[in-house]
Amino acid sequence: MSRYILRRLGRGVLTIFVSVTLVFFIVRAMPSDPVALMISPQMSQEQIDTLMHTYGLDQPLMTQYFLYMKELLMGNMGMSFAKRIPVGEYIMSRLPWTLMLLAAVMLIVCIIGIPIGLYAASRKGKLSDRIISIIVTMGISIFIPFMAFLLLYIFSFRLKILPTGGAYTPPTPEGFELVKQVACHIILPAIALSITNLANAVLYTRNSMIDVLHEDYIRTAYAKGNDRKRVIRRHAMKNALIPTVTVIGMQIGIMVGGATITETVFSWPGIGRLVYDSVNALDYPTLQGAFLIMAVAVVIMSFITDLVVAWLDPRIKLGD
Amino acid sequence: MKERKGFLYCFVRNRNGMIGFIGVMAIVLIGFVGPMIIGKPSGYTTDILLPPCMEHPLGTDNIGLDILSELIWGARTSLYVSLLAMAISGAIGIPLGLICGYTRGILADIIDAAIDIFMTLPMLPLMIIMAAVMGTSIINVALILGIFSWPQLARVTKNSTLKIREMQYIEAASCLGLSQLRILFKHVLLNASGPVFVNMTLVMASAVLTEASLSFLGLGDPDSWSWGTILKRAWQQNAVISSPNPWWWWLMPSLCVVVYVVCFNLLGTALNDCLNPKGRE
Repeated sequence: MSRYILRRLGRGVLTIFVSVTLVFFIVRAMPSDPVALMISPQMSQEQIDTLMHTYGLDQPLMTQYFLYMKELLMGNMGMSFAKRIPVGEYIMSRLPWTLMLLAAVMLIVCIIGIPIGLYAASRKGKLSDRIISIIVTMGISIFIPFMAFLLLYIFSFRLKILPTGGAYTPPTPEGFELVKQVACHIILPAIALSITNLANAVLYTRNSMIDVLHEDYIRTAYAKGNDRKRVIRRHAMKNALIPTVTVIGMQIGIMVGGATITETVFSWPGIGRLVYDSVNALDYPTLQGAFLIMAVAVVIMSFITDLVVAWLDPRIKLGD
Repeated sequence: MKERKGFLYCFVRNRNGMIGFIGVMAIVLIGFVGPMIIGKPSGYTTDILLPPCMEHPLGTDNIGLDILSELIWGARTSLYVSLLAMAISGAIGIPLGLICGYTRGILADIIDAAIDIFMTLPMLPLMIIMAAVMGTSIINVALILGIFSWPQLARVTKNSTLKIREMQYIEAASCLGLSQLRILFKHVLLNASGPVFVNMTLVMASAVLTEASLSFLGLGDPDSWSWGTILKRAWQQNAVISSPNPWWWWLMPSLCVVVYVVCFNLLGTALNDCLNPKGRE
């Protein structure tokens, strides 16, 4: 077990390291110069040099890299070029919004996706299962702007019951009013974003449930005189949910990185939009910080997923 | 020959597969032949935001471009980008997967770790940065898509190579004194080609999704016609929520993307079902 954890830890640190290094060099290969965006024509050469020096942009590339890594190990992600505030602070102001969206999506996936998958498995080959399969195929290939446009058209333009974008209507409301407004604003982005995840959850749950129902221990459970409900609840479901848990776990890790498209269409102030804005503003430190957070989230979630799967299925030994 | 007949028989009988196949053929036809018949869309006329009519079957947009001809030229771009992306990811992924699956040693371990790490990196944000770095031309977009979709292909190639490596005919080929390279390409790759081919159709589908997403974010090629670019313009003009609503402007390009992806996915799934003997029962 401890050897397993060590190996996972090694892999995780390596993934984070590769991701940070890759992004560091990619952003520095950008054709435009971030300083050009910060300076104004009135500045003297001396002021420009001071500015370059403050952000460490006058150093050779490798020196910049080692300095960045050193600072990173001490928990300092640098200053944002665009906002002139520490990157950590900047990202932390956006992270809760993305996590909120993520929680809403996962709620939809668990409450709707898993039961539909189980239902489709129990009706395998019948009309309702086929209809669900067709919808799932469409759902997996959905183009998110299409879904977003459709939702906006129906709910914001035709029915006029939900807002078109943002996280609340400015000026920032207080207390209960804020909660109410955020709840209204989160509905559309959450639905648009959950379609693909929902389709995946239904597909995996259905297929693995069908496989599990053919297992010997299910026949044994019936032979012992259990009724159908009890067999499915106690014997089949726990095993059938393993692939679903894996997929959901991976998705959570990836989605901490935000959903750039959804967040852009709905002007949701999350990490995905932060990446998009930072690319346009040539904000290197923020991009690097955002990718660090994403890599850490993916690594942690895949570790948690492994633990949950091992807990669900005692036959899986983590030590091997 | 018996297996080949079985495969064709199964494929023709698979209804979803045939729908996908016909759809893909139609897209290829429209993409290659369409631009020869219909001229490049030209704008700046007075026919602004016309609803579908005889002259403009799918209406026009805010600068008077005919949506139908934009879509047809967009189909050509989508095909071009996804074919190029598939070729690039195949050129990187297949050899790496073969090496990783067939040989044992440090090189295989390194490739294996690289596949694992690249599979976990957040792809879309990385591609957005790459697109901003490399500049917006259609070849660059295809290059980025290819570079970032190789790990999936490499993993599929590796897994089927692993199975084939243990087969007796590989042993027999070694005993006959054939060179390793010949065995690798003539015997291993040929037998592993089924799952690899299936995965390539899926790469084509996801390449179009990503290309449309990048163009939608304004990171596509401004000089070529793309479904994503039409959508970007529509979104910037608030076409979805303005009144009266030019629904043909934002609905048609999105439907094109969805149809393209669904057709390729259906084709891939059907090929998979037919090539996989377990699924043929």
